[in-house]
Amino acid sequence: MRRKPALPIRLIVYLAILFVAVIINLPFFWMLVTSFKTEDAAFTIPPSFLPTIFDFRNFVKAFELIPLARYIWNTLFVALTVTLLQLIFNSLAAYGLARLRFRGANVVFMILIGTLMVPPEVTMVPLYVIVKQFGFIDKYRALIVPFMSSAFGIFLLRQFFMGIPRELEEAAIIDGASRMKIFVRIILPLSKPALYTMALYTFLAHWNEYMWPLIVINDAKKQMIQVGISQFVSGWETQWTLRMAASTTAVIPIIIFFFFVQKQFVEGISISGLKE
Amino acid sequence: MIRLRRRTREALTGWVTVLPALFVQVIFIYLPLAWAFYVSFFSWNMIRPMRYIGFRNYERLFNSADFWNSMGVTGIYILGTVIPSVIIGLLLAALLNIEWIKGRGVFRTLFYIPVITSMAAAAVIWGWLYEPNFGLVNYFLSIFGINNIKWLSDPSYALLALIIVGVWKRIGYNMVLFLAGLQTIPKTYYEAAEIDGATPWKKFVNITLPLLSPTTLFVFIMQFIASFRVFVSVSVMTSGGPAKSTQVITYYLYENAFKYLKFGYASAIAVVMFAMMVVFTLIQFRLSRRRVHYQ
Repeated sequence: MRRKPALPIRLIVYLAILFVAVIINLPFFWMLVTSFKTEDAAFTIPPSFLPTIFDFRNFVKAFELIPLARYIWNTLFVALTVTLLQLIFNSLAAYGLARLRFRGANVVFMILIGTLMVPPEVTMVPLYVIVKQFGFIDKYRALIVPFMSSAFGIFLLRQFFMGIPRELEEAAIIDGASRMKIFVRIILPLSKPALYTMALYTFLAHWNEYMWPLIVINDAKKQMIQVGISQFVSGWETQWTLRMAASTTAVIPIIIFFFFVQKQFVEGISISGLKE
Repeated sequence: MIRLRRRTREALTGWVTVLPALFVQVIFIYLPLAWAFYVSFFSWNMIRPMRYIGFRNYERLFNSADFWNSMGVTGIYILGTVIPSVIIGLLLAALLNIEWIKGRGVFRTLFYIPVITSMAAAAVIWGWLYEPNFGLVNYFLSIFGINNIKWLSDPSYALLALIIVGVWKRIGYNMVLFLAGLQTIPKTYYEAAEIDGATPWKKFVNITLPLLSPTTLFVFIMQFIASFRVFVSVSVMTSGGPAKSTQVITYYLYENAFKYLKFGYASAIAVVMFAMMVVFTLIQFRLSRRRVHYQ
């Protein structure tokens, strides 16, 4: 057992960590405080670090000025649908690659994982053309269909499936169970932690997505939350109290949610090191 | 019903499991990638028919001052973000790896919050922090006698403003990767060093840093690629301006495609970006094969 350093040194270390934690989170604190200030109070020097209004009037105004409730609903719908589809597509492919022997499996694996090398920025122009050909512009399908599977998800699940002992399946094979039955009855129930982690990542990535909806959604009513809160509508530019209220609406629920699921999250990156 | 041999049945099931994912990725990633190559040889605005022009898009690209400007801006952004975010991430990981500190999990979560929030919201919030007259950043600077920097509308500060946001957003991510790397260093090394009377700093420099070098390389490359792809903060905070001082390569591509509708030219930019990504990835493979293992 190593010994602890003297009390003053421990205090300095604690203060340093606390200081960094405060600095890193100051922008969110400032967003929250500003969203509870009157317009006048937000524009004072020196700035006040306390809220001035203790009601939700900025939020009410922000919800009136831009259809925030609609954006939240749209984004929840899209992000949850993508997550559900990815759970199906990715776990199926991961199972095939982890457990089944078939000719070309290695090539298929390379093709699926190779997409990690292709950043979405590179394909956004032709993808836009394809999605337009399909008639998906201004439809949620444009945000869902191209993202029904992901290299990251397949990789993460495959790693997990490969760690499940084969003996658990062998008894079922001898009993004559089909591979699909084994997948559904044995592999999936054993893989809840990995499926949960993958679902969290996928949901968060699509809740936070900005670039793609910016390109394929022009209809203001169908917009996603991240584009919605960052676009300017007339009279909106300088109303920082309202913009902070809108940002608070998009950010604070996610931060609270994160506090409950952070363990799965951080372990997920440590395993794969692939996704933020 | 024909009874298939077990092997054949297994192979069939195998293909059935991978086909849906394969289908999606081929149609929505590989096909667009191939199409980007193809379209880069045409002049096309989606209204008039495509016109084959050979390598002219590439010629224009490499002779374009705007393209080289965007490469320069991206390069400065990468340099400005990679080094600080890797170093700060490492220092925070080393700090949170100290055993006697209580509440390490809570601090780790607090440091990670910027990573999970969307860049779009972060950019809106930072837009307010950078507000020249009433923003928090200029208020703090005024205490030190620095006054009235127009962060987002002065060409000499706008890129710095984006770099600060980029570093802030990624520190937590790099820290978690380093924390995972630190777990792999055997505790016995430190115990041996302590018997020899090594100071914490000596231990950090002589044990932690060398043993962590594979992780450091990995973090460095991940951060490099992430910085290369910067887009959202530029789009929300500066739109590439003022005076193109923040026009990174992704934003240059985006503007040419969706503002000027130069799809052929934009595809040529995409091809160049892809070629650069491939080079980065190959370098990563080469370096990670050569990396040192201490076992």
